[in-house]
Amino acid sequence: MCGMAVPRHRSTRFTPGIFSRFRLQVATLAGRAAATASRLAGRGSGASIRGQVMLKLDPSAFATLLAGRRIACVSGTNGKTTTTHLLTAALRRVAADDEDVVTNADGANLHHGIASALSEHRRALVAVLETDERVVPSVVDKGDPEVLVLLNFSRDQLDRHHEIKALGRGWRDALTKAGDAGPVVVANACDPLVVWSAQPARRVVWIDTGDVWGQDAALCPGCGAVLTHRQVDGRGHWDCPACELTQPQPDYRVDGDTVSDPNGHSWTLELQVPGRFNRANAACAFAAARIMGVPPREALEGMATVTAPAGRFATTTISGTSARLLLAKNPAGWAESLPLATSDPVVLAINAAAADGRDVSWMWDVAYEQLVGRRVIATGPRAQDMAVRLAYAEVEDVAVVEDLATAFAHPWLAGLDQPVDVVSTYTPFQQLRKLGGLA
Amino acid sequence: MTRPVKIALVYQSLLGIYGDRGNATVLGKRLQWRGIDHELVVVEPGDAVPADASIYLLGGGEDMAQVSAVSALQTDGNLFRGLDEGAVLFAVCAGYQICGKTFTVGDRDEVIEGLGLLDVTTERGPQRAVGEILTRWSRADGTTSLITGFENHGGYTTLGQDANPLARVVVGVGNANDGSEGAVQGRVIGTYPHGPVLARNPDLADHLLELATGTTLEPLDKPEIERLREQRIEAVQRGAR
Ligand SMILES: [Zn+2]
Repeated sequence: MCGMAVPRHRSTRFTPGIFSRFRLQVATLAGRAAATASRLAGRGSGASIRGQVMLKLDPSAFATLLAGRRIACVSGTNGKTTTTHLLTAALRRVAADDEDVVTNADGANLHHGIASALSEHRRALVAVLETDERVVPSVVDKGDPEVLVLLNFSRDQLDRHHEIKALGRGWRDALTKAGDAGPVVVANACDPLVVWSAQPARRVVWIDTGDVWGQDAALCPGCGAVLTHRQVDGRGHWDCPACELTQPQPDYRVDGDTVSDPNGHSWTLELQVPGRFNRANAACAFAAARIMGVPPREALEGMATVTAPAGRFATTTISGTSARLLLAKNPAGWAESLPLATSDPVVLAINAAAADGRDVSWMWDVAYEQLVGRRVIATGPRAQDMAVRLAYAEVEDVAVVEDLATAFAHPWLAGLDQPVDVVSTYTPFQQLRKLGGLA
Repeated sequence: MTRPVKIALVYQSLLGIYGDRGNATVLGKRLQWRGIDHELVVVEPGDAVPADASIYLLGGGEDMAQVSAVSALQTDGNLFRGLDEGAVLFAVCAGYQICGKTFTVGDRDEVIEGLGLLDVTTERGPQRAVGEILTRWSRADGTTSLITGFENHGGYTTLGQDANPLARVVVGVGNANDGSEGAVQGRVIGTYPHGPVLARNPDLADHLLELATGTTLEPLDKPEIERLREQRIEAVQRGAR
């Protein structure tokens, strides 16, 4: 055995009472004080510490804060933050006031991050929650969400999450348990593990996202047989030869900028966030918004206003150089982001802190060979690992500058007439946002 | 003209979870840079494994993938034929485990029969081994090299009489926290440092190539690799895992 199952949360449904409400108020105030202290000390927004203090003082706060709202959850390995922003924008388009829709826009997506966001918007009737894959079962269990968006599953930080299938099993169990009271699930039909995880839901709206990442979908999650992948009318189609699991007929389908819906209508996405991957995210957000009651045109108009969710795709200035920031957290993310980085030179920022995944083996699953002929500045604490990967990709012009701020003062970057594209793992991305004055 | 050195990357989508294809990339480039022709064959489940490769590579994967890979390799049979013809097999992590006599999978530690290419057995260890690993590898002539890598495995491996450890652990868990790491038996080499372990360890990469080609290779000067090795060895010795 190379892998091992991830422990699951166990939880019971909670009914808020008068005493618990008083307790929650005390916990909220204490959390707010901790957040303020953290902000004053210059340690970020304090959202996470606020949530931690609250949940410590009142462990039931999570369920109490979720109660009585209309909730949409967004989960999956990649695209959670952007999809959450798109869905929030779609819902706010029809809300009387932006404050009616609360979201954890900063990407703090564990229990305490969600609790923190909700506690600051007690009167918001609608909550759009970016939810870590591990937290989905407990939100389904305690939060009674109306819609659950399941984007994709791929290998990510395997030093911490050993088997992605264990996550899917947690979702299946939660949806089975929720039964007819469970959410409508909006799910990516191209991802076998998502399909298997979503199957027990009372209703699933399937999205043919045209997903191209198949490297984590070799085996049938249902029976373990080797899945077959073939092309049907120019689109991928997967099927299990040994059991019933097969790619479902889609309700929505993405073709370039066009999304077709179950009524046979086609809609045009006008997004400011780039790439095929974000069109897939937008199709999922679009379907979810409509389930929540947003008319299609308003949903599209709302989504068109989203520019740089939590700094992703933002253009800023670092050490005098104009830079566009792209985040890539795992091989599937790199497969999507790297083709968007078309500048010459291009900057690759690499670390292997806990939040990046401590193992940089993933870089051998990314086709850096596509950078041949361009100049690359490798930066971040693990820039040297990237330099070796690039050497084996036969990318010849590589500069290694471990310090992020110094990298952006490299002579290659002087006098460019376009922003330099930067693809970054998680922790350097957060540092670059700070260096660029975005966070 | 000699025929190209054939490298078979076996069941990449099953046993390639940690960037293990990097080992094939490294071996191929190190031949190419010396002007030696090679052919890389990526074998997916369902395809026939070539019987005439010089080097076979097996990588890391999840429990179900291990079971599936063993059954497919046994049905196919060509890996065994290739090894009978004198090929080299380099197997990492889950790939190393399946080369043994038995390994276990799942929460209930079901015992699965392996390929029987290495006299080793693997069962669930007391705690998962995750982190940087540093070992000292000794060649037959008594010379040694440090091997730097990243290990991530729940199974612990015990060596039988016919298998020798590949290396001694300096920092990390290795086979079973017993000071040994990996196994060598004839031309089959198994090791826990997974993914692109050959990228950080060019001596080991060239050793596999020399075994497979029966020739002595001239050294390659790649300063970026030396610098990375220094960095990782220094970090591990400082205590970073
Ligand atoms: Zn099946």
